[in-house]
Amino acid sequence: MPPPSLDIIDSPQSIHSSLWRASQLARGGARCLDTGFAALSAELPGHGWPTGALIDLLLRQPGAGELRLLGPALKALAPRRIALVQTPHAPQAIGWRQLGVDATRLLSVRAATSADAAWAAEQILKSDSCAVLLFWQRNLRKESVRRLHLAAQGGNTLFVMLRPLSCAQDASPAPLRLSLTAAAGGVDIGFVKRRGPQRDTPLFVSLPSLNLLHHASVDRRTPAPVAAGSVLSELVG
Amino acid sequence: MAASSSACDAGVRYGMRRGGVLALLPHAHMHERAIEREAQALSGAATALLQYTPQAAFSDDATIVLDIGASLRLFGGIRALCRRVRGTVRQLGLTAAVSCAPTAAGAALLARHCHLRGHHHPRTLSTPRLQRRLDRLPVSALPAALPYLDWLKGIGCRNLADLRRLPRPGLQRRGDTRMLDALDCAYGEAMELHAWIETPPSFRQRIELTERIEHAEAAQHTVQALLAQLCGWLTARQLAVTQVCVQLEHERGRQAVAPTVIELALAEPTWQDAHLIRLLKERLAQLEISAPVIAVVLEAARTEAMAPASESLFPEPGGTPEDYKRLLELLVARLGVEHVLQPSPLADYRPEQANRWVSVMEPAAPLDARPLPPRPGWLLEKPVALVMRQHRPYYGSRLHPVSPPERIEAGWWNGLLVTRDYYIAAGADHCHYWIYRERIGDVDGVEPHWYLHGVFG
Repeated sequence: MPPPSLDIIDSPQSIHSSLWRASQLARGGARCLDTGFAALSAELPGHGWPTGALIDLLLRQPGAGELRLLGPALKALAPRRIALVQTPHAPQAIGWRQLGVDATRLLSVRAATSADAAWAAEQILKSDSCAVLLFWQRNLRKESVRRLHLAAQGGNTLFVMLRPLSCAQDASPAPLRLSLTAAAGGVDIGFVKRRGPQRDTPLFVSLPSLNLLHHASVDRRTPAPVAAGSVLSELVG
Repeated sequence: MAASSSACDAGVRYGMRRGGVLALLPHAHMHERAIEREAQALSGAATALLQYTPQAAFSDDATIVLDIGASLRLFGGIRALCRRVRGTVRQLGLTAAVSCAPTAAGAALLARHCHLRGHHHPRTLSTPRLQRRLDRLPVSALPAALPYLDWLKGIGCRNLADLRRLPRPGLQRRGDTRMLDALDCAYGEAMELHAWIETPPSFRQRIELTERIEHAEAAQHTVQALLAQLCGWLTARQLAVTQVCVQLEHERGRQAVAPTVIELALAEPTWQDAHLIRLLKERLAQLEISAPVIAVVLEAARTEAMAPASESLFPEPGGTPEDYKRLLELLVARLGVEHVLQPSPLADYRPEQANRWVSVMEPAAPLDARPLPPRPGWLLEKPVALVMRQHRPYYGSRLHPVSPPERIEAGWWNGLLVTRDYYIAAGADHCHYWIYRERIGDVDGVEPHWYLHGVFG
């Protein structure tokens, strides 16, 4: 057998789109949605969030910036529905609107047991009538995760499962697993698993600011209690 | 007389006495033949099969004939149609031999004969082939010939081909005209007349169970059988159902218990049973029954005229609004109305009042587009009191405010007065929190009370 020519080894994707070298990012195959952050898109296979597949977001702490990270993708899918299953706290409609998500698009499902929650998520994926499914889950059995991944492949839903960082140790069928840690002015994204080269250093993504001084022109300057507190502690100390 | 296949394997044969069967199988269940329940099952099957054609009629000896000439295109051809008919019959908990032929009488003859011989589902589409097939049938397959079997056998007439070769005037004189008429109809040489089944104006069907069941979930198969009948009835009358009512009847007599009722209201009228089956399955799984169930009743409580959906050339991504409504109904059926929510914000300054979520089955209020200071994506159900460390509120780490305050003071009119100064605070872990300071209680100079009320995602 003659040795394969060099350019085929260099670009195995010319044989089939689902082949890639270990040093390059996979491309083709999955349908993807732009993340809205160029730095992050460049690091993801397909240059965006894959739809119709399970995405595992592992949060170091709830509120690490996951909503602001997903915000542009959620905004891009307007006016289609967003299903939230088993949210950690009550979602605040005004807060979501400030992220660019219209409140009428939201559907919140709460279940008493994790089995019920997984069932609800599976039904939402199967019906394919919601564009996004965000699923918060603490501990889910491995079979259930696989089942949800299969259900996601049947449709075109952007399916994100948000779990604590401790779940990074467990095996998961998700083709994309990212860890999120809040950082000053943004979020540090660690690539736990992706179809592409291993990346050990986290990627810093600068998130849109919370618009903290939104009403600064109307209101007084930074308040008294903080200043008073600090002065007092010095005096006491 | 009938026996299950496992009984036949054990050696039970037709014509055995009760004692003989019990000697072979001591634990065999013996049932008396109940003619009226057979008739009920047959009419139920006929009702269910009306979903494939409006023209169905009873033929003799537990046979139903369907005119499917006009339905072939709709159901995707003869094979697909036969498969669906068999599926429906299976859903009813019955077994059937299905055959099709250019004449109804011919098809009925083939189905009955093949059922006895254990053959499966003969399909004949052309008249010459049907005639060849019928020629090979024994004379005993023709019910009208049964009184004359002895002398037909005596003159060496074994199958229908032999019977047709005999001179007609002679047969007419010796036998009766019914035999010849049946033969002509089967061979397609005479017109067939059928008394097509008429559907009643309202639907209420009851199936008595053979055993008392303790768990509501076990009634699922009976409910499916009833739903198949409902579908047939709806299709025949061109109706769609918006509310169905299932009653599980309990023991009567001294300890009479009122029947358990499951009411199922649908947002979108439907005339197909797949969605109803899924909804009722979830409802039955949730249901706790107090006494054993002996019968199941299904009633179409509210119906309206059927409006078939118009299909679009290019399907929209994300399915139709009806798909979404069906999903909501399914979720509500298992999780309960109070667990499937949509936002319905209230125009109120207090965040816990403004952030109102209502069930998806209720109408929702729109959100007014008023510019507001930043609000967190997550609102805690109940504010968490924060401890103070070095005069700073502490939550995992010391929090320092990063925004100017927002004063919210409202609710004096209904006793839920809030007097709060909200800040956005950042911890050492760079997460942003929405905290507030209670102003009442602060007047006499004690330490301020801080609470955590929200988390920015």
